[in-house]
Amino acid sequence: MISAPKVRTHTTIRLHRRRAALFGSIVTAVGLLVNLPAFAQTITVWSGYPEMAPFYEHVAQGLKAKNPNLTVKVEAIALREHEKRIALGLTSGSAGATVIELQGSTVRRYLENDLLPKAPDAVATFVKNPANFGEFFSSNASYNGTVYGIPLFRGQAALFYNTDMFKAAGLSAPPKTVDEYTQYAEKLTKRDATGNATVSGWSLRLSGGGQGIAEKFWINLFQFGGSVLEQTPDGKWRANYANEAGRATLKQYLQNVHVLKTVTPEMPADAEALERGQTAMFIRESWVIGDIASKAPNLNYATAPLPRGSIALPTNLYVKANGDAAKAAWEFALATNEPENLVWLLKNVGWLPNRTGVDFSSVTKAAPAFAAFVDYPKDYKFFTLPSIAPIEEVLTRLAAHLTNAFRNSALAKDDAAIDAFLKTAADETNQILRREDLLGK
Amino acid sequence: MQRKKWIFATLAILPTLVIFAYVRIYPIGDTLRLSLHKWDILSKNKPFIGLANFEELMGDPLFLDAFVNTTVIAFGVLFITIPLALVLAALIHHRTRSHFVGFYETSIFIPHIVSLVPAAMAWKWIFDARLGPLNALLTTFGFSPKAWLFDPVLSVICIIVLCSWQALGYAVMIYLVGFKSLPTSLYEAAKLDGASGPQSFWRISVPLLKPITLYVSVVTLVSGFNVYAQAFVLASDSQGAPGRQVRVLVLDMLENSFRNYRVGYAASEAVVLLAIVLVLTLIQFRLLREKGRA
Amino acid sequence: MSTVTDRTRALGMARIRRRSFVDLSIDVVLTLFCLLMILPLVLLVSNAFKTPQEMLAWPPTVIPDVPTLSNFKAVLADTPLLRWVANSLSFALLSTLCILMTSAITGYILGKFRHRLLSVFFAIILATAIVPFEVYMIPLYFQAQSLGVLNSTWGLLLGYLVMSFGIFLVRQNVIHSIPDELLEAARIDGAGELWIFWRIVLPLLRGTLGALGILAFFQAWTSFAWPLIVATTRETYTIEVGLALFQTGFTVDLGRLSAASAVVLIPSVTLFVLLRRNFVQGVASTGLKE
Repeated sequence: MISAPKVRTHTTIRLHRRRAALFGSIVTAVGLLVNLPAFAQTITVWSGYPEMAPFYEHVAQGLKAKNPNLTVKVEAIALREHEKRIALGLTSGSAGATVIELQGSTVRRYLENDLLPKAPDAVATFVKNPANFGEFFSSNASYNGTVYGIPLFRGQAALFYNTDMFKAAGLSAPPKTVDEYTQYAEKLTKRDATGNATVSGWSLRLSGGGQGIAEKFWINLFQFGGSVLEQTPDGKWRANYANEAGRATLKQYLQNVHVLKTVTPEMPADAEALERGQTAMFIRESWVIGDIASKAPNLNYATAPLPRGSIALPTNLYVKANGDAAKAAWEFALATNEPENLVWLLKNVGWLPNRTGVDFSSVTKAAPAFAAFVDYPKDYKFFTLPSIAPIEEVLTRLAAHLTNAFRNSALAKDDAAIDAFLKTAADETNQILRREDLLGK
Repeated sequence: MQRKKWIFATLAILPTLVIFAYVRIYPIGDTLRLSLHKWDILSKNKPFIGLANFEELMGDPLFLDAFVNTTVIAFGVLFITIPLALVLAALIHHRTRSHFVGFYETSIFIPHIVSLVPAAMAWKWIFDARLGPLNALLTTFGFSPKAWLFDPVLSVICIIVLCSWQALGYAVMIYLVGFKSLPTSLYEAAKLDGASGPQSFWRISVPLLKPITLYVSVVTLVSGFNVYAQAFVLASDSQGAPGRQVRVLVLDMLENSFRNYRVGYAASEAVVLLAIVLVLTLIQFRLLREKGRA
Repeated sequence: MSTVTDRTRALGMARIRRRSFVDLSIDVVLTLFCLLMILPLVLLVSNAFKTPQEMLAWPPTVIPDVPTLSNFKAVLADTPLLRWVANSLSFALLSTLCILMTSAITGYILGKFRHRLLSVFFAIILATAIVPFEVYMIPLYFQAQSLGVLNSTWGLLLGYLVMSFGIFLVRQNVIHSIPDELLEAARIDGAGELWIFWRIVLPLLRGTLGALGILAFFQAWTSFAWPLIVATTRETYTIEVGLALFQTGFTVDLGRLSAASAVVLIPSVTLFVLLRRNFVQGVASTGLKE
């Protein structure tokens, strides 16, 4: 079928930035907090982002005043390990009273297998209230219409660029089209006497373990109008990158690595590179703002929206607990969404809160870099990872293929070879989907 | 008295028997069972699927990649370690009465006992393309720096170097014991016949040490096939300074079970690993027996 | 003009001189090689004392220009490093104890008692000795899970309770170094079986068990794959896992990483230097095949 329907993963999020409806929700939250258990209570927060630990501790601190008997243990570890402990902890039931931070796309399989309880009514009402969360976020925290989690923050990407380097290269505005990204990268690259890049013009994710490479590839692919997976009319999925968009995306990588040599796999990359002046620009989520503030406060940088749109990966809080412990855990999860805490989150950590109607202006004014994440063009598109069980396997395997492709200079000028490569990778993606009975027609 | 003796024996061995059954025999059996099932951590249905996991393995590029890498690493380590260890042990044995023997033994052996992770960290820095001393050394001598941890071939070589560095101490130590057990009379006779040191090394030591060489080879090969921590740390997931992920069998196994939740599939990989080790051990026994007959 | 005796003396001198020259060059080669072997660790320790600026300097320095303790301070403040070391220590010591107990008693029984079932058991032990731990690690993990011992020393211990090689080693030593007559004489004197094991067998096995203990300790101390899946909370990491995951944050700070690693090197290197003789004996005994 040529007239494929609009890819449904590209859900558009409308960020309400109204400042109303605050009062009601605070009342709800406080109302819940009245029913505090009388005896000592310990809840554990599992987070997959080490930088989120201070936030949860801040929330716990706030609760301490109201409930001195509550002890909150925050265990924030790297995302990979975090997902593993969830899979193992939930299936064994040995997790104890736990507040679990999880991406909406990952949580689906736990819900399918009844491994997480649904949210209490008060929480469900809070989440479903459009004054609190947009439909995208509340449905991301729900399954079959039932609320299971509380939306908290999202990963959304934008371009970060070093303004001093832009100035030095005679560039006054951020790149607006995908083609401009390559042109800019070429101008921004600094080279030594032998022509080898010393500062990358555009830091691309070219190596490393895990699915990150494929996720970043997807973001770039999205700018060309493609996606790694697309939903088919029967509600299933199939690979959507062995096509023109996929070729253009991969070609852009190869062009930068092998033809223009604006970046190499072994160059320092990511936030660290930007902070140390080792790259001129890169695409990343908003937490980088907080990271720069703490590690490179003197860096002159700015942010810009991406040409077409961005990934939006909502992360929600779920609870695995019984009885009074469950009550305390849900109270904690609700408390994270108190406006004061959300402002603290944005200001000190930099992840974007999902709640509507909170006044973040004090933060966004002080750090203009947030603008690219909240003031984006009207037709800005968003996509999220599909909520299917083998999503990580699909991405990890694609990542393994991509790592090899990025190294292969012979591919750079050979469209047919690129197409063949993409077809092999896409066949494997579809094969995984078929195995799990998720392959659409 | 005889009865008492046997009651004691039964009671004494029972705890070990129980523990052994629980932590060795049962899980090994379970691995075999899981390998025949579509056993996903999260799904309630865990159907028997016969050899389907193994069939899938044969066409799985990541597994084949892991298999090739692991084999190359295991044999690479073998071919570096064994000759080097033999020569080093001969030299150290020759200098037994030197004051430095303690230093030699200690420094060659320390890499074997320090924890893997700190050691791998040290090597990660040495191999670092931009900041590492290895490239600094290369450029000083006019060679161009290499992307050690990123190139598909070089990154495997890095792991071989790291593993050999760690395996060498053990091999040297075993060889030293071997040298000490060789009859000195043979060497004295050889000396009277005018044989030089290297000559008696080749003509006497090497052949006589063959059983030890076989033993060390198998130990080195088997531990080479279990390589994991080195690949984990050298690539790591840190986003500022990544490295190319060298996929090895144990890594692929753990990824399949704890990341893709496909425990049955991972178990079938474990069975393949077991088969490799079994074959290697059988070959060793075969070679030893032939040696015994000769 | 030199006389004949002078000539032979000169020849003898020359031979000795040549010999000492060969020995000297062997010493030089060995020393150089040994320095090369420990160089990575020396560099690691040196990095631990470098400032972040010096860490990034090119070319890299071997001895820090401005040694600083800030990496150590930061690491000890940011991570429960000492806790991790303590976890590893308690795990390794308990594992050593368990392995020594199970190996000593089982090795003794298998060595001195003859019964067809015992031979079968010994054959099974030998057969499983070659199965790599990684092969059955995952089912064992689910057993730990059902026992509810994940994230605890007991969970770690589960994988390291027995050591096939230890049983084998003790058995071989019992057979070769404890004569049957000795045990029979004790029995005739009316000694109980437990007394015999405790007072006669164990003292005779002291050397073997010492060597085995050291092997067992380092096996647990350097274990990685098992602790990585069993201990997943920050408080229960072993030092190996803690260190490995320490670098998987968003950014990596090599100076601190080196400082943490250097701290970890201290216990194992100290232990090794103190017990080198026993250790060498232990390792050597692994190579003694019958």
